[in-house]
Amino acid sequence: MKVPMQWIKEYADIPVSAEEYQNKMIMIGNGVEGYEELGAEIENVVVGRVLTCEPHPDSDHLHVTTVDVGEEEPLNIVCGAPNCEAGILVPVAKIGAKLPGGIKIKKGKLRGVASEGMLCGGDELGVPVELYPHVGAAGLLIFNEEYPLGADVKPILGIEDTVMDFEVLANRPDCLSVWGIARETAVACGTTFTKPEITVKECGGDIHDYVKVDVEATDLCPRYIARVIKDVRVGPSPMWLRKYLNGAGMRSINNVVDITNFIMLETGHPMHAFDLDMVEGHHIIVRKATEGEHITTLDGKQHDLTPGQLVICDAQKPSCVAGIMGGEESEITEKTHTMMFECAVFDRAATRVTSRALGIRTESSGRFEKGVSVKTAMEAMQRACQMVGELDAGDVVSGIIDIYPEPAKEQVITGSCQRIAHRTGVDIPAEDIVRILKDLHFGVERNGDQLTVTVPDYRQDVDGEADLSEEALRVFGYDKIPSTLLRGETTPGGRSERMRLKDEVSACLTGMGFYEIMNFSFVSPKTVMKLDMGEDDPRLCQLPIRNPLGEDTSVMRTTLAPDMLSTLALNMNHNNDAARLFEIAAVFDADNRTEENLPTETQKLCLGVYGKEEDFFTLRGVVERLLATLGIETTVEARGESYLHPGRKAVLMAGDERVCCLGEVHPAVREEFDMTARAYIAELDMAQLARMRKPMGAVKPMPRYPAVTRDLSLVMSEDTHVGPLLADMAKAAGPILEDAKMFDVYRSAALGENMKSVAFSFILRGADRTLTEAEVAKAMEKIQKIAAEKYNAVIRA
Amino acid sequence: MKEKIAQIEQLLVSELAGCDNLQALDALRVKVLGKKGELTALLRGMGQLSPEERPAAGQMINEAREKFTALLEDKQALLKKQAQEEALKRETIDVTQPAATPKAGSVHPMTLVLNEVIDCFTGMGFEVVEGPEVELDHYNFELMNIPKNHPARDAQDTFYVDDNIVLRTHTSPVQARTMLTRKPPIRVICPGRVYRADEMDATHSPVFHQMEGLVIDKDVTMADLRGTLNAFAERLYGKGITTRFRPSFFPFTEPSAEVDLTCVACHGKGCRVCKGTGWIEVLGCGMVNPHVLEMCGIDPNEYSGFAFGIGIERITMQRYGIPDLRLLFEGDVRFLGQFR
Repeated sequence: MKVPMQWIKEYADIPVSAEEYQNKMIMIGNGVEGYEELGAEIENVVVGRVLTCEPHPDSDHLHVTTVDVGEEEPLNIVCGAPNCEAGILVPVAKIGAKLPGGIKIKKGKLRGVASEGMLCGGDELGVPVELYPHVGAAGLLIFNEEYPLGADVKPILGIEDTVMDFEVLANRPDCLSVWGIARETAVACGTTFTKPEITVKECGGDIHDYVKVDVEATDLCPRYIARVIKDVRVGPSPMWLRKYLNGAGMRSINNVVDITNFIMLETGHPMHAFDLDMVEGHHIIVRKATEGEHITTLDGKQHDLTPGQLVICDAQKPSCVAGIMGGEESEITEKTHTMMFECAVFDRAATRVTSRALGIRTESSGRFEKGVSVKTAMEAMQRACQMVGELDAGDVVSGIIDIYPEPAKEQVITGSCQRIAHRTGVDIPAEDIVRILKDLHFGVERNGDQLTVTVPDYRQDVDGEADLSEEALRVFGYDKIPSTLLRGETTPGGRSERMRLKDEVSACLTGMGFYEIMNFSFVSPKTVMKLDMGEDDPRLCQLPIRNPLGEDTSVMRTTLAPDMLSTLALNMNHNNDAARLFEIAAVFDADNRTEENLPTETQKLCLGVYGKEEDFFTLRGVVERLLATLGIETTVEARGESYLHPGRKAVLMAGDERVCCLGEVHPAVREEFDMTARAYIAELDMAQLARMRKPMGAVKPMPRYPAVTRDLSLVMSEDTHVGPLLADMAKAAGPILEDAKMFDVYRSAALGENMKSVAFSFILRGADRTLTEAEVAKAMEKIQKIAAEKYNAVIRA
Repeated sequence: MKEKIAQIEQLLVSELAGCDNLQALDALRVKVLGKKGELTALLRGMGQLSPEERPAAGQMINEAREKFTALLEDKQALLKKQAQEEALKRETIDVTQPAATPKAGSVHPMTLVLNEVIDCFTGMGFEVVEGPEVELDHYNFELMNIPKNHPARDAQDTFYVDDNIVLRTHTSPVQARTMLTRKPPIRVICPGRVYRADEMDATHSPVFHQMEGLVIDKDVTMADLRGTLNAFAERLYGKGITTRFRPSFFPFTEPSAEVDLTCVACHGKGCRVCKGTGWIEVLGCGMVNPHVLEMCGIDPNEYSGFAFGIGIERITMQRYGIPDLRLLFEGDVRFLGQFR
C-alpha cells in the first residue's frame, strides 16, 4: 500500500529520514518495498505570470514572452505552446532548473531570440492529469488558483512528498489504512498516534424520510451503517485531497467519490455512495442474489449473479455487489442530488468467493476479504460526513441507520509474562511486555505474572498467547534473539532410504558420464500421444490440473520419457554433439488411488543418450552396470515399448519382473520430437530397484588353482539370439565355469547368407583342484552339444 | 697354466670391448665360461697335471672364473642399461598432447546444493522425511492454519486437481503428516518439489524446490531456531556468516520471521548482490503456531517447536551466479557440464 509520508505525519510524527523510517518500520514487522521521492528530480521551477506574449519574428508557432517570476526584472522566454497568452499563471523553469529525465535548463537562443528559461507543461514536470486536471490541455500547465510569483511549484502541484510503499502482511489488514500505518509508525518512532477529532455538521431532517434499509442476510453482513446527504454539490476535490489520493495511487474523480476513497485509505473501511434518486423505492435491501439476477457494474461490465452472492438491492433489483463494486445505475454523477453513504462490514469468505467468481478484484473487496473491523465502521462513517461538510459537498441529514444486531465481543486473552517471553528466547521484562502492548493500544491488566489483555477490534490476527509473544518481540527487537543450540534428547537423523538410493544411482550414473536433468512434473496431454502407445495404455490416463497455466502444463506426467526425448532434442538442436542424461522424478497414476484418494506417485529413472559413440549396447551396458551395482541380475528379451525401434529394443528381466525397457528411439517418434540424430533411452522404476536390490554380502575366496581358457567359434543363423545361447552354454558347463563371454561376431560370403560366426571365450576353474584336461574337454563338449542341439550353432566345418 | 689364463683374459677383455649387444655378450660368455668354453677346457685339462699341481691350478682357474664372471656381469649390466635407455628414448611421447579424459558427469546443480543443505541438518540430528507432491488440501492448507477462502491462499497461487486435492505449495504437509504419526522429539527436514501457479520467467517457476525443517520438543525457543539457522549459515557459507531476523507472517508460525544472511559477496559491507544492504533474504521461519500443533495432535502446553523453509533455487542461483532460472530446467549439457 502506497502512502504519502505527509498523510501519515498528520496522525503520527516521523522525526527521522525516509531511509531510517523505512528501516524502523521493517524491523517492527511492516514490510516496505521502497519509497519514492516525488519531484526529487525537479529543481528551481517557480510560479510566473506571462506579462506579454508576442509572435516570434522568424517563426509561425513560437512566442516571445516576458514573464514575471517575482524578481526585479521580468524574464524573456521563448515559448512554443499554443495556449500561451498574456496574463496566465504558469510554472517557469529558470536558468539552471532541473526537470525529470535529467533535463537541465540553460540560457539559449531560439531562432535568434534569447530565452532565459522555459514555460512548462504538465508532462514536462511529470504531473499526472489526475492530480491537476488542467494539465490535460495541450501545452502549458495553467494554474487556476492564485499563487505568489516566484513560489516553488512543487508543493503547489503536490510533487514534493515521499511516498512509502508498504508491503502489508496478510494478517494485518488493519495496516491497509493510514491510521493503521500511523499507529505502527508511532510505535516504531516512539511518537504518539493521534486521531483527528470528528464532528459532523448536520442540517436537520430525518434519514428515515429519505431511505429505508433492511438487512436480510445478517450472516454475511454483520453491520450496515447508512447516512444521507442532500443537496449534493459534486465538484472537483481540493488540491490536498487530490495530492493524497495521487500519492496513494488513486485517481481523483470528484469530491464525493474522493471522500469515499479517502475514507477507505485513511480508516481501512471501504465505503460506497448511492445516488438515492436512482434507488428504486428509496429502499436498500442487503440480501443474497436469486436465480437469474444480473448487474451492470461501475466499469460498464454486465455480470450474471449466482444465487447466494451478497448484493445490495433496491426495491426491484441488485444495485451493488456487496463490498466488491457498485452498480452503474446508482453511481454518483454530476446530476446527483441526494445520496446515501454506506459503511458496512461484509463476510470475508463470501466476499472472496464472489470476487473470484465474478473476476472482480477491487481495493474494497481486498480489504473485506482480509477482514474489516466491525466496531470502527461508525467512526469511518462519521469521518466521511465530517468531510462532506469540510469540502462543502452537500448537507448531512440528521439521523443514522445502524443495523448491527450482534455487537462484536471483545477478544480477551489471558497469558503469563514468563511464557510470553520464554517462547521468544529473549528475556523480555514483564514491564516491557505491558508497555509494548499498551503502546499497541491493547488493554492490559497485570497481576504478577498473569496478564489479561483486551485486543483492539481491528487486530483480528491476535487470538492467543503466541500472538502476544510476537507483538512483544517485534517491538522489543528481533535483533535481541540470542543464538542457542538445540538441547534435549538427541535424534539419530540421516537421509531417507529413498534418498540414499537416489544418491547411489546418481553416483553410479555420473561416474559413467551422465548429467542429471530436471523437468516440470506437468506436461501437455498431447505429449504422451506422440509416443504412439496402445489405446488402453494406462499412461494415457493423466491427472489433469483444474487451473493450469496453459495447455502445455495441464496434466501430471505418467512417464519421464517424453521430457527426456525433448531434452535430447534440445541438445541436438543446440548442436551439442553428444549427451548422456538422466532424470529421477515422480510420475503420477490418476487411476490407482491411495487410501487417501491421492494418485499413486512412483519415482522413476529415465536415461537418454545420443552421440557418435552411443548405440544400443552402450546404453544397455550402462543399465546393466547400474543394476549390477545394486546387485540385480537380469536377462535380456527382445521386445519393448512401441516408441522404440522394433529391431533395437529390449526388456531386462529379473526372473518374471521387468526391470527396464530400453532401446533406440523409433524414427517416427524422433521426428515427432524434432530429433536430428539417433537416440537411446531406458526407463526404470526406483521403487522396484529399492525392493529388488541385494546387499553385496561376503567376498568370495581368492582362486587358488589355475584357470583354463577355451575359445569357441560357432556358426549359426543370423536370427539366433546370442544372449540365451550364451546363458545356456554357461549353464551346461557346470560349476567349473568361471566366466563366459562373447568377443566377436563375423559375417562373410563364405559363411553363407543369413549366417554369422560368433566367437566365445570360456574361463574354467576348479575351486579345490587343478582341472584335468579331461574335465575341460568334457565341459567344452557339453557346451557344444547344447549349442548344436538347441540353437543349431556348430563349429564351422 | 698361468699364461693360458692370461691369454684367455686378454681375449675376453679385447672381445668385451667390442661387444655392443646382449647376444654377443652371451656368445662370449659361452665361448669363455660355457661347457665347451675355453676356461672350462682348462679345467678339463687339469687331469693331465700332477696331483701336486692340481690344487694350485684349480684355485687359479676358479679365481679366473670369478673374475671373468664379474667382468661379463658388469658388461651385461652396462649393455642392459644402454638398451633400456635406447628403448626409453624410442618410447618418448608428446606428453603435452590432449589426453583421453573419461567423460565427466554430474548431478543437477540443485541436487548439489540440496545435498549440502541436507548434510548441514542431518549433522545436527535431523532426519529426512518425504511425502506426496499431489497432496490433500487438508494437509497442505487446513492443518497449516490456512482454512478455505483464507486470503493467505492468495500468496500461494495454488494448482488444484479438485476441491480436495492440490499440487503441494510447500513441503509443510510433510511436516503435518510427521506430527500426526510421530511423537516428539521430532527433528525432521522435508526437501522436495513444490508447485505454485507462477508463469515461468527469469526468477519464477511453477515448479521449484524447497526444504523445510521442523523441530518439536519440550522447551524449544526462538533462540534455538536462531542457533540452528546460524549453524546452517556458517556451514553452508563459511565462518562469519550470520543471520538477521525480521518480523513477518506465516499462518503456521507465531511468532514468524524472515531471515536474512550476511551477504556472501561482500560480507556485509554492501554491494550489488545485496543491493547495498549487506543482507540477503534466504528463508522464512518461526515458532510453530499452537493451533497447528493442536490440529496435528501435539499438546501446545507441553511442547513447542520451530519450523523453517528454504528455497533451493534461490541459493543455487546465488551460489553459482545463475542469471536465469530457466537454465535449471532446460537440460542443456553446455550448462550442466559446468557443475562438479
